[in-house]
Formats: sequence, structure tokens, C-alpha cells
Amino acid sequence: MEFINPDVVDLSRFQFALTALYHFMFVPLTLGLTFMLAAMETVYVVTGRQIYKDMAQFWGKLFGINFAIGVATGITMEFEFGTNWSMYSHFFGDMFGTPLAIEGLMAFFMESTFVGLMFFGWDRLSKQAHLAITYLVALGSNLSALWILIANAGMNMPEGAHFDPETMRMQFESFVNLVFNPDAQAKFVHTSVAGYVSAAMFVMGISAFYLLRGQHRQFAARSFRMAALFGIISTVAVITLGDVLGRLDYEKQPTKIAAIEGLWHTSNPPFEPWIVAALPDDARQENHYEIGVPLVLTPLITHTFDQPITGMHELEEAAGPRIRSGIDAVAALRRYGVTHSSTDLAQFTAHEQDMGYGLLATRHAPGQDVTAIPADQIDDVVRATQPDILPNVFVTFWSFRLMVFLSLWFFALFAISAYLSLKRRLERSRLLLKLCMWSIPLPILATEFGWITAEAGRQPWTVFGWLPTFLSASSHGVSYMVFSLIGFVLLYSVFIAAELYLMFKFARLGPEHDSMEPHAPATPQASAFDMRPMAS
Amino acid sequence: MTKLLRLAGLAIVLVVSLLFAVFVGDQGPWYFAWVIGTVMIILISGAGAIMLDAQSGLSADGEI
Ligand code: HEM
Repeated sequence: MEFINPDVVDLSRFQFALTALYHFMFVPLTLGLTFMLAAMETVYVVTGRQIYKDMAQFWGKLFGINFAIGVATGITMEFEFGTNWSMYSHFFGDMFGTPLAIEGLMAFFMESTFVGLMFFGWDRLSKQAHLAITYLVALGSNLSALWILIANAGMNMPEGAHFDPETMRMQFESFVNLVFNPDAQAKFVHTSVAGYVSAAMFVMGISAFYLLRGQHRQFAARSFRMAALFGIISTVAVITLGDVLGRLDYEKQPTKIAAIEGLWHTSNPPFEPWIVAALPDDARQENHYEIGVPLVLTPLITHTFDQPITGMHELEEAAGPRIRSGIDAVAALRRYGVTHSSTDLAQFTAHEQDMGYGLLATRHAPGQDVTAIPADQIDDVVRATQPDILPNVFVTFWSFRLMVFLSLWFFALFAISAYLSLKRRLERSRLLLKLCMWSIPLPILATEFGWITAEAGRQPWTVFGWLPTFLSASSHGVSYMVFSLIGFVLLYSVFIAAELYLMFKFARLGPEHDSMEPHAPATPQASAFDMRPMAS
Repeated sequence: MTKLLRLAGLAIVLVVSLLFAVFVGDQGPWYFAWVIGTVMIILISGAGAIMLDAQSGLSADGEI
């Protein structure tokens, strides 16, 4: 039997985390900007005012830069499932492959085709037809995200599949359950709307830059107002859906919610404080320097005043019997693979729900084989496996908090900005305009923290409760992993640098056509990136 | 006639939306909420811009 090399597993995880986080620097803007473009163009079609066409074209150009550079970064991840996570792909491919294939079709056929029409169709399509195309681009990009999030929700809360002892993999059983998995629904809306927040901050921040410099004032005022209103409603929606996700974690992923809240012991409702800040110590399994607000945690997570939230110590204790039963499941499955007898199958079925916990014990079994554990050592193996059911608490706790603290900042900033814009007092509030400008990267940072919360919090599983992460990786050599990791870091850093360079350049240049500022200089550089072959 | 067709089109969209809402209501309503919410966000932000046009009386030099 081939031994699992923990370095290869860690490197595979690191590589995936890195490529996913790089990729997600581009995604939120695509998700949100497309709908903002649709909003601007809708106003153009309804009012017939040229300035809204200028807006749709200028912000569309910045969207184009993000799309062109960002699109490639997602493709590598789809290949990584095959190259670095082949055990996972075997085990969960039946479930995971379906949404991923649909995502490919959405992204490549729907989104990419319509993006071309959107950029090149301004002079060739009627106003209404072009507007319909812009909506289809927005829908296409968000629907391709939908399928990825359905796949991800399947890993967090596997629904619509069962384990098949014949094929040794999760077998797809219900498309409806896969698509309407409550986690998929909440994740999709949370993530898509997080994209709206990111795009709104982007448009608002760059518009603030023009207002501060007194350039393109009418253009910036309209962009700013639309973005502020877009942003405030989206922030409220993101917070609402964040609450839904927290409740789902409470119901289905108790280790994740306990780690998110730094809850080592079962809560004491209703007084248990919500910990605002602390230093969780994973090694000693306790928090240092806790600052909490009493009475908040129970209603926040459970939406009641009397339901307790199970703490990590208690979850560890409760995992003991499941690990023991899981070891029996793995042993029965191994026997069944050879004998195909109904007795072995019945034994496996009796312990099937705990199989993942048995696999988790592999790392502590002699020769990484749970069937080889001598009877007198089972207790030791179970005890050694129990702490493995917990994710890294420090990372999960803080990534969640940073996401939440940032969302409160967005709420305040969008609310004040929308108010001052409606009162037409923006230009007097220079500090606010500067804050808007400096906040441009923050929603993207919040989405990165969101992903860290979701994925670090899911550990030690790739498929929650069924397949441990350390059993999911391919058996590459360390040098292969290091080599490919360095390659990705270099390549993706070039992409990010190119994105930042082009974004700064074209944002600084401002709109090429500004119908309300007729004397705005037409810059030769700007037309170099004009994607319309025959600019009007 | 075109008005009638438009109204009929709108009625079909409403019926499909309602059926969709009833169907997904059983499964958890968030997809539906996303559709409605996105339309609402677009309409409100668009209305905000049109309001600005009215506020500034289409002049280029009023306070912003
Ligand atoms: C009070 C505010 C918020 C709460 C309570 C919240 C809650 C959560 C929770 C519990 C998760 C983990 C879901 C899981 O189990 O997989 C999550 C993930 C995530 N969050 Fe938030 N969040 C908030 C604000 C934000 C903001 C402002 C953004 C970005 C602008 C954001 C972006 C994300 C992303 C991208 C993910 C990963 C995808 C997912 O699992 O849905 N969140 N959030």
C-alpha cells in the first residue's frame, strides 16, 4: 500500500488555496459590474440620455480588463481537481462533475459569447437588443458562479448523493436535491451579492476620485449615486445571507460554527457572550484575551434564547463513538471488497454513516491501515483521532471576524454616501470621498476572508463527514508540487500586476466620451484600448 | 395592439415568477429572493440616477 505523504497534501492544499484566492480577486468585480452595467444601460434606454451610455461604456471598459485577465485564472483550478486531487475526484466526481460541466458551458458558451456582442455590438445592434445582451452577460457570469457554488455546497453539505460500496464513491442520486441544497442557495446569493458590493465600491471609489479632482463631475455624480444605492442594498442583503449561512453551519457543520465563534465549551444560553476579539490557542484548546458581549451569541446563531451551541470539547467527545464505528465501517468495506458477502455488506451498512470518521483514523493507525489496529490499541487510536475533527480555530475565527467587521464598515460608508449624494452635499465631504477611494479593495478582501472561513472551517474534510482532506490528494512528488506552485505564483502575480496597471491607467484617464463635459481632452492612450472597432 | 401584447408579456412574466416562487418556496426561497432582489437593486439605483437628473435640472454646474 502507498503511504500518504503529508507534505504533498499540505502543498496541494496550499496550491489550491493560493490559486483560489488569486482567482477570487477577479471574480467579485465580474459578478457585480455586469449588473451595474445593466442598470446604467437600462437608464440609457429608458431616458435616452447619452451620459448613461458613456457610463455603461466606460465602466464596461474597466469590466473588460478584469474579465480578460481574470477568466484564465479560473480554468487552472478545474484542472487541479484532476492533477492534485485525484482521490477526491474519484470519490466525489460523480457529484462534483455535473455542476462543473454545466459551469463550463455557462462560462464559455453563454458568458463569453455575449461578452463579445456586448463590446462590439454598440453600433450594430438596436438599443434594446444591446441591453438584452448586457443582461445576458450579467446572468451568464452569475449563473456560472451558481454552478461552482452548488458544487462547493455539495462538499460542505453533501445532499443528493449516497456512498456506493460497489464503486467506492459517492453516487449522484438527485439533481433537484443537488441544485436546491439550502447551502447552495444561501452560498450563491451571499457570494453573488458580495460581488455586487465589490463592484459598487469600485464604481463609487473611482467616481469619488473624479469628484475630488473636479473632473467629469456629472458623470461621476451619477455613477456615484447609482453605486451608493446599489451598494447599500447589497450590503444589507450580504449580511442577511451571512446570517442564513451561520444558521446552516449551526445545523449541519457544528465544528465549523464552534470554530467560527471560538467556542471551546458548549454555550450557556441565553447569557453566552459573542466574542468580539480573542486569541484562540489551537494547541492548548483555549482562548486568550477574550472580549465578549453577553447575551448576543445565542440569538445570533440559533435565533432562539434557549438553544445551546455545542462546544469543541463536547464535539470531540461525541466524535469518539463515531470514530470507533467508522473503523468498523472501513474494516467491513475492506472485507466486502474481497468477499462480496451480504454479511459484510450488512455490517458496513450498519456503520456507513460513520465511515468518514474511520477514514480519519487512518493517519494514526499502524501502517496507515485501520484494519490492522490491534484490539488493545483501538482506544489510543480513537483518542489520537478525536482532536483531528476540529479545523484551525485561529484562522477560522479571525477570517470570519474580519469579513464581518468589514461588512459593518461597508454598511456605514454606503449609507452615508447614499445620503449625502441624495442631499447633493458630496463635494463638500472630501474626507468621505477619500474614504470611498481607499475602500475600493476592501470588499474583495472581505470575499477572500469569506472563502477562508468557509474552506478552513470545513477542515479536516473535503466532503464534510465523508472524505478527509489528507486522503483526497494525488500521490505526486514534493518537487513536482513545489515546481508547479512557484509557476502559479509567478504567473498569477503577473496577471495581478497587469490588472492593477491597466485599471489604474484607464481609471485615471477617465471616460473617453463625456457628453456633459464637452471639453474633456480625448486622450490617444484611451482609444488604444477601445474595444469597439468603429467608435461612435 | 402593441400595448396589449406588452401587457400580456408582463402578465406571463408575473405568472412564471409566481409559479417559480411557489416551486422554490418548498425548497428554500433564496434563489427566488436573488432574482427579485437583483431586479429591485437595479431599479432603485436607476431611479436614483434619474432623480439626480431631475434635481440638477439637467444643468452641468449645480452642486453635486
Ligand atoms: C455580517 C456579515 C457577514 C456574515 C455574518 C457572513 C457570514 C458568512 C459565513 C458564515 C460564511 C461561511 C459559509 C460556509 O459555511 O461555507 C461566509 C462565507 C463567505 N462570505 Fe460572508 N458574511 C458576512 C459578510 C460578508 C461580506 C461583506 C462579504 C464580501 C463582500 C462576504 C463574502 C463571503 C464569501 C465570498 C464567502 C465564501 C462563500 C460562501 O461560503 O458563501 N461575507 N460568510
